[in-house]
Amino acid sequence: MPFKLEDYAIDAAGCPRCSNCKFIEHVWIKSARFARQCPINVMHRFNLYSAHGLMHSALSILDGTLEFTPKLQDALEKCTSCGACDVRCKRNLDLEILAVIETLKARAVEMGKGPALVNKAIADKIAKSNNRYGSPHQNRLKWMTKEIKVADKADVLYFVGCRASYADKEIAQATARILNKAGIDFMVSADEWCCGYPLYSTGQLDAFQKQVKHNLDMLQKSGAKTVILSCAEGYKTWKVDYPKMLDRNTEDMGFRVLHIVELIDELIKDGSFKLKNRLDMKVTYHDPCNLGRLSEPWYHWDGVHKKWGALEPPKIWRRGDKGVYEPPRDILTSIPGIELVEMERMRDNSWCCGAGAGAREAHEDYAMRVASERLEEVKATGAEAVVSCCPACKEILKEAAAKSSEGIKVYDITEIILQAMA
Amino acid sequence: MSIPKEAYQALQSIVGPEWVSDDPAICNADMKGGAGTGIRDIDSVRPVCSIQPRTTEEVQGIVKIANRYGLLYSPTSTFFNADTAPHLKNTILLDLKRMEDFEIHEKDMYVVSQPGVAFSMVQWELFKKGLFTFVPGSGSQCSVVANHIFCGDAPMGWRYGLGYRRILACEWVLPDGEILKLGTKSMIDDYFWGEGPGPDLRGLLRGTKGHSGGLGVVTKLAFKVFPFVPEMPWPVGLGPHATYQLPESRFKIYNCRFPSIKQLADAVYELGKCEIGLVVMHVDPVFGYVARARGRGANVFWEEFTKAKETLDVNQGWLRVVLCGFTSEKQLAYEEKVLVEVVTAHGATAKPARPFDETNLQSADAISANFVGRRFASILYFESLDHCVKVGKENAERKKKYVPPLPDTYGLPGWYVPYDFAHICKEENLNQSDVDDVVTLGELANECRQNDLKMGAYPWAEDPNMFGPAFFGYDRKLKEIKEIFDPCNVSNPPAPIGHGHFTPTKPTE
Amino acid sequence: MQIKKSLANIVGVDNVTDKTGRLKAYAKDHSLALPRMPSYIVEPENAEQVQGIIKVANECKIPVVPCSSGVHFHGNTIPEEGGIILNLQRMNKILKINERDRIVMIEPGVTWGQLQEELEKHDLMALIPLLPHPQKSVLTSHLEREPMLIPKFEYSDALVTTEVIFPSGELFRTGSASVPGFPDKSLSTGVNPEGPGIDWWRLLQGAQGTLGVLTWANVKIEYKPKLNKCFFVPAKSVGDTIEPLYRIQRRMIGQECLLLNNTNLAAILAEKWPADYKNLKEILPPWVLIIVLAGGYRFPEERIEYEEEALREMAADLPFPDLLTSLPVAPGLERELVEMLRKPWPEEETYWRFGYKGSCQDLIFLTVASRVPEFTEAIDSIAAKHGYPIDDIGYYVQPLERARACHFECTFFYNPDEPDEVARIRKIYTEAAKTLIKMEAFFSRPYGEIADMVCEKTTSYTEALKKIKAWLDPNNIMSPGRLCF
Repeated sequence: MPFKLEDYAIDAAGCPRCSNCKFIEHVWIKSARFARQCPINVMHRFNLYSAHGLMHSALSILDGTLEFTPKLQDALEKCTSCGACDVRCKRNLDLEILAVIETLKARAVEMGKGPALVNKAIADKIAKSNNRYGSPHQNRLKWMTKEIKVADKADVLYFVGCRASYADKEIAQATARILNKAGIDFMVSADEWCCGYPLYSTGQLDAFQKQVKHNLDMLQKSGAKTVILSCAEGYKTWKVDYPKMLDRNTEDMGFRVLHIVELIDELIKDGSFKLKNRLDMKVTYHDPCNLGRLSEPWYHWDGVHKKWGALEPPKIWRRGDKGVYEPPRDILTSIPGIELVEMERMRDNSWCCGAGAGAREAHEDYAMRVASERLEEVKATGAEAVVSCCPACKEILKEAAAKSSEGIKVYDITEIILQAMA
Repeated sequence: MSIPKEAYQALQSIVGPEWVSDDPAICNADMKGGAGTGIRDIDSVRPVCSIQPRTTEEVQGIVKIANRYGLLYSPTSTFFNADTAPHLKNTILLDLKRMEDFEIHEKDMYVVSQPGVAFSMVQWELFKKGLFTFVPGSGSQCSVVANHIFCGDAPMGWRYGLGYRRILACEWVLPDGEILKLGTKSMIDDYFWGEGPGPDLRGLLRGTKGHSGGLGVVTKLAFKVFPFVPEMPWPVGLGPHATYQLPESRFKIYNCRFPSIKQLADAVYELGKCEIGLVVMHVDPVFGYVARARGRGANVFWEEFTKAKETLDVNQGWLRVVLCGFTSEKQLAYEEKVLVEVVTAHGATAKPARPFDETNLQSADAISANFVGRRFASILYFESLDHCVKVGKENAERKKKYVPPLPDTYGLPGWYVPYDFAHICKEENLNQSDVDDVVTLGELANECRQNDLKMGAYPWAEDPNMFGPAFFGYDRKLKEIKEIFDPCNVSNPPAPIGHGHFTPTKPTE
Repeated sequence: MQIKKSLANIVGVDNVTDKTGRLKAYAKDHSLALPRMPSYIVEPENAEQVQGIIKVANECKIPVVPCSSGVHFHGNTIPEEGGIILNLQRMNKILKINERDRIVMIEPGVTWGQLQEELEKHDLMALIPLLPHPQKSVLTSHLEREPMLIPKFEYSDALVTTEVIFPSGELFRTGSASVPGFPDKSLSTGVNPEGPGIDWWRLLQGAQGTLGVLTWANVKIEYKPKLNKCFFVPAKSVGDTIEPLYRIQRRMIGQECLLLNNTNLAAILAEKWPADYKNLKEILPPWVLIIVLAGGYRFPEERIEYEEEALREMAADLPFPDLLTSLPVAPGLERELVEMLRKPWPEEETYWRFGYKGSCQDLIFLTVASRVPEFTEAIDSIAAKHGYPIDDIGYYVQPLERARACHFECTFFYNPDEPDEVARIRKIYTEAAKTLIKMEAFFSRPYGEIADMVCEKTTSYTEALKKIKAWLDPNNIMSPGRLCF
């Protein structure tokens, strides 16, 4: 099994405990209120609940001086693997902080100390029904409406994902209609299984491998060369974690992974797709972690760490500065009447919505506090709505908005595009 | 070792059960610090619990409980400083991160802050009010309180002085649990000034370096902030490329390469007399290569730095100057003119650099020190520029013996960062190692310190046991002060004595 | 007698006296402190002699009161409990001028006149308070934390390293002067005040001679600008000067900057007493904010030019009362004032504070600039209540470190030979001090009865100070009775 904690011990050991992992990029800080970026650290404050605390814990697990205590398990369950700590650290140093955290989660699972029971139950549902909800697999394509045209054979496969297939069908429907409007022929697959994000992100790597194999087989059989997703979790899983499991580079997987916003942005810029309907709305955009800082292609590396930080062979580092940040913004600002205002924590500094890596399932109250924190930031912009590109982000932010009395609306970008389409 | 149940319950009653924990993982994460890790925390132990107070009164309560139950405590804010790693059993880790309130007094230019506040949290708030603070060399993620009372140096000290100069009034929980208020706070409900009344007890707060919690816990501190220009810098770039773009009407940056360090030093003294500049410093060339490699990987650094061996002249001076027109744009023009004249007269050319900064106004890259190796330890001095030049050169030569396992930096002497318009200067040999060789850093540092005694140099963060006997017995005096204010020896013992910056501390009963 | 003999053995018979005539001179000063006679006056010439004297004092449990100026204003050299006056005026050497690092090493007896004259030869100057008495010791000013006229440096205290004899008789050096072999056989130049161990110089400042005796110190010095331009902002009320003061300092304009009322300015400018003084008081504006623009070391005119432009711009935006390059009522002042302010009061002239009535009592504290008007109002009110003419009060406000705070000084002039006047001043002083403390004035340099009031308020601080005192002076021989000791 690739991707083991031992492989990243040197990264954990290199942590200088500077606490940069707790803050957004300093030059982008615009207020003390929104200066911090690590959800577990903001909510719990103990150093264990931070990247540097987890680095030290990883080393102690490896040398046998620490066991997976209730608090360590708690910290790992609540860590949404948002990657903020990782990109912040990589601003200055060459350390794979997120990899340490992810492999530490996997180690907890191996040693029977994880995942949280509810996430284990989700794994069971996936194993049984191929989706995170345990809903009948045969209902996976029931989101489709009559007017949506799907090709029997095409170069493009729309991988819908569990959330859009079962829970937030509006996103799937909007995406499909957008593709139709854009003149993009696409397939969907009845044999689509959960991408495996709930498994990978909670350290259940053995189970994840099954999803990887199945979905890649499905894709190959379909003949598609491009996979389109409207879910940031799925996007990152396909683009980054699938090649990771196979010790390959993203570019060597034989297919392209695109988020719908990347495609639509391209089409708007080349003039072949227009958003003409006026939508008078002041909105802000929430960068999903998995579409933003975690979305850069994966580069496989199995070299050697030499003295003083050099690697042999050299490695391509993923530092979060090349994430999918501008396409959704460009789409929004191309719509007549939309006024886009930015939150302070944006782009690679985005504050996680709280839904990732099984944190919400395992700790609902905690996750809602994280989401509410994001809503405070939305409020501070004066926006009437927040737009995102991920059903998980949308779901939690929407629920948090419903609980607050501010009347903030929450949209997935596909819904906005749909409204703006002539 | 576990904490007595009664004591734990008493702690819970002060901060609430949510904010104290004796979970082994929480305590384990609180046994190692940052800077100096592997040296100063080499024999650190797990605290018996970690606790997070919110107010001065809660800190006071915790300290009193420590005294009552024979427990020790060590305060930390960000834990970047390994000095506060617990070395003795029965230590409570007093984590001050929840104490993150601050108040800006715009008119009279000071900020009152709790210890959990980081520089970066304050800086933009200050910009909005036409003010700014100094961001230390250790990075703007550091605690403002901890940094001011520990060291507090940064390149802008050229104009604004060192850390001790910027401390105003403060509130301090002594090791016996009593609250000591210094400066104006001793008499009135204000923090605007730090002296007196009468003798200034800020003298106890620190010496060349702070006491790392050895004499109690500072729970509130006012520090100076300074007038800024009307136009704010603005952030650009993502990830490693994030930086401030500076308003060119008010800022100019120059790089000046001098044929020799002596010529650089002469020019710096002259610039001091001219009283121009916001930052004037000799940059360690290693960091020039680090800056270029940032975002591209350590391999790029090693490739380019290795090639540079043939061409780098260790005797050259690399002066980086940041000019700021605080008063007006014309001040900027005036200072440019003076700078060019001075550096030219001393054999250099002032080359304009791009108007971007991510080091001085919001230091996001200080931790790059670890880019070359994964561990670093600095050997510092604060004395005259000439003193610094001499010791810097000496120590650079001394380092050659330790290469390998330390990486070869070709005899480069490190940074010279003058302060107070060249009244005083910092020399920093910033030495790196890999994780396994960190003890070698300590050995090098100790050898340099032994040499300091012979050379008559004045070291920073020296070991009182090593230097005290020669320096008028101040080690004995420090012990006496410790006995006076910490009679039960509960406040991060053995600080402030017992170990220096580089001497591994052995746990004792 | 034995004590005197022991002292004579240390300093020589000519340098110790117990003659009443000589002792009387130290029994009182220009403050309201009640006279108290010392027992001896001893005048050492080096650190070893100072140590010897302190050793005798410890053995005999006799107080020692150090002083190094020939004139005193605050009562802190009047022995509370008799004892030895340790007069350091013979230790008056300028030991070393370090032009490169811009520090000067001086003994305690060095006066301002002596120092500035010597430094001028090197185009240098020391930061100086407002027109100190010619016999005033430079070190005393620094130890007393007297405010300097130039608020542009962030290092408002120019004291760096020192050699000190503690009350135990132990010799110690502070900061980087503690390096063995300093100054000649070490790399250290004595510029770093920090350490070793703690920041000793902070404890010694403000201690009023209770924690040690300095035998020399290094003090920062600066380039003396050759070109200067003086500006005056005259105002009817002090309130009109505050915003200009804040803005000028915030914009980082100027070298010397101070605020005087007409009473003080008249006392400074008067040549013939009392005619000039009375006349000037009437015609001078009630308040004058004085700003000196100083030319830089290079291109001096250009620095003055850009600062002047900024100043005028500010004056146009803000309702400055006015911005003048000269005071019509005092023609030529703009040329003379700068040189005046960089030197002590001339030896040959009556000290400006004594010209009006022969003596004066200062009330000094720190505050923020915005509160200056309310304090002047309060003091005026108290003075009026006691029948003291308000326009006889001298006010001096010195911004510190870019007006982050201000030194506030009010001066009550009185005739020390008139018991009624003395009594009235005493009442005003006490009442004003109490009122100001209630109003949260910060007495960072508390003398005499104010020290008692302050110590009562600052309980935790006082407790800590007493511990320091007990540690450094276990026999309580050094200036006992001073402050809270």
